Amino acid sequence: MLIFLIRRTLVLVITLLIVSVLAFLIPYAGEGDPARKILRARVNDPALDQSQVDALTKELGLDRPIYEQYFEWLGNTMTGDFGFSYTSRVPVSEMVAPALSVSISLALAALLLALVFALPLGIVAATRRGGKIDNVITFLSQSAVSAPEYWVGPVLVLIFAKHLGWLPSGGWSGLAYIVMPALALSLRPMGYFTQVTRAAMTEVLAAPYITAARSRGLSFPKTLARHGMRNSMLPVMTLFSFWFAGLLGGSVVIEVIFNIPGMGRLLYTSVLNNDVPVIQGGMMWILTLAVVINTITDLLYGVLNPAIRVTHG
Amino acid sequence: MANSTLTTPPTRKREPWHLSAPPSHRPNIFLATVRNLLHRHWTFEVGAALLLFVLLVLVLTPWIAPHDPANQDLANRLAGPSADHWLGTDHLGRDVLSRLMWGGRFSVTIAGITLVICVVSGTILGALAGRRGGWIDEVVMRTVDVLVCFPDVVIALFLIALFGTGYGTLIAALSIAGWTPFARLMRGLALEINAKEYIEAAEILGSPKWFILFRHVIPNALPPVAAMSFLRFGHKLITVGALSYLSLGVQPPDSDWGAMLLDAQPYMERAPWVGILPGAAIFITALSVTMIGQGLDVQKKRRTTARTTGPSGAPAEEPASRTAIEEGEAL
Repeated sequence: MLIFLIRRTLVLVITLLIVSVLAFLIPYAGEGDPARKILRARVNDPALDQSQVDALTKELGLDRPIYEQYFEWLGNTMTGDFGFSYTSRVPVSEMVAPALSVSISLALAALLLALVFALPLGIVAATRRGGKIDNVITFLSQSAVSAPEYWVGPVLVLIFAKHLGWLPSGGWSGLAYIVMPALALSLRPMGYFTQVTRAAMTEVLAAPYITAARSRGLSFPKTLARHGMRNSMLPVMTLFSFWFAGLLGGSVVIEVIFNIPGMGRLLYTSVLNNDVPVIQGGMMWILTLAVVINTITDLLYGVLNPAIRVTHG
Repeated sequence: MANSTLTTPPTRKREPWHLSAPPSHRPNIFLATVRNLLHRHWTFEVGAALLLFVLLVLVLTPWIAPHDPANQDLANRLAGPSADHWLGTDHLGRDVLSRLMWGGRFSVTIAGITLVICVVSGTILGALAGRRGGWIDEVVMRTVDVLVCFPDVVIALFLIALFGTGYGTLIAALSIAGWTPFARLMRGLALEINAKEYIEAAEILGSPKWFILFRHVIPNALPPVAAMSFLRFGHKLITVGALSYLSLGVQPPDSDWGAMLLDAQPYMERAPWVGILPGAAIFITALSVTMIGQGLDVQKKRRTTARTTGPSGAPAEEPASRTAIEEGEAL
């Protein structure tokens, strides 16, 4: 366990170093003087005064060797200081924190919604394996998995916001605003959760301890609750946290469609505006979180399932 | 090629080894696959029919598309379905059906190219990790651990910030993390295959390592890898569409299904079909490959319990039994 932790921490550090080098290089990529690019993004004036460019170069220390600049940047980054946004002049950390909390609520809402539907469907499909109900559920889950959220979202808006007028079509200022984006976002994970629940449950139901429990006179629902659920939830849990990490920055399209001030939209607009400090800060945060969440999941998996602990080294 | 005589059935009349023609006795993986497709699962049948239809239309597009996809007819904007425009026209009076056909060629081709890159690199790296172990295994699998949790869209945004938009960036963005599920699956399969007798036999016969890898390990892992390829294809298609929808993927004047959806957004209320049809095209194509992939997976599971002999009655090299869904293709 300790070895596993040390190893994964090492991997995390190496990853972050690589990511940080790439993030640092963003303003240097492509042609042109980075100072000129930065200045252009700031003042939005195509005809730049060379003296201004030189002043900024001096101010930002862009004339120093690149590794020196990198280590200084990395030092600031470690303390959470990514500088100021070019466009809004607000510190990056003050932009990332609220965006992240919005994305976390959206991801949790979508994934919980997905679980609420997927668990019963997956269990029913597994207990009626090969039957009509199973086939219907299988087909539904395949459809859910194949439905692009940027298609479902606008269609939902058309129906519930434009025609019925029940829900707001975008924005983020209350519970009603979370319903449609969460629904659109939940479809694909819902399909995957259903399939994984079904597969895990099928396997568990074939296990000898289920037969043993049944032969002791335990009713089928009780067997399911006591033995089936506990043993089949591990893969679902893994998938849940995987999706959670993925949705933190990956729900870009839905956040753009519904105009939600989350992490995905922040990253997207910063890329469009070439707002380098925000891109750097956002990327570092999102990718760090993704790796950390995944490591914790793998760790928990080992704790909850002693059978695989050995192979995990 | 000496090892292929091993697979000669014991009941066969023995010929001098140098006269036997090895290729004909070798269980042919391709034939076996075709034969096995004859015992299909229903989702496979439906999915295959859908996919064949879509591919046929896309291949024949230059000949069957009713209009020039770029041909504007401003007097006839956002018109509903008619005899001339079966699926209506968009906000510039362009024929939606023709645009769907031409756009689909972009979407499907880009998803296909990235898929091939991911399958080939993932399979080879995973097989190497599983066969060789040691530091190769460590490096490959730790890389997988990290990359697997990076969302494709975030990688794409990162690359676009670095290199700008373009087809190269698009394909790279989808491939950087896209190979990892294949590597994970393949490594597990390779570990399983390592323990088989035919590997031991090949090793005793002194077959070179690369030969064992490409002749025994990878072919016997192909069915689950094929199933996963189909499942991943749907995922890639959706991601390509998402990036185009964000106007970061396919760039004008080219247009794909995602870009068509983006164009249609302002007119959703006035002309819903313009905003629904391209999404439906992505949905149907993704659904078809998902159904094929899962059909293959289910059938594969059934077969591993039933099958003891290969085609031509020879004891088969028993393929690995893991399936893509169990392996967490859901990722």
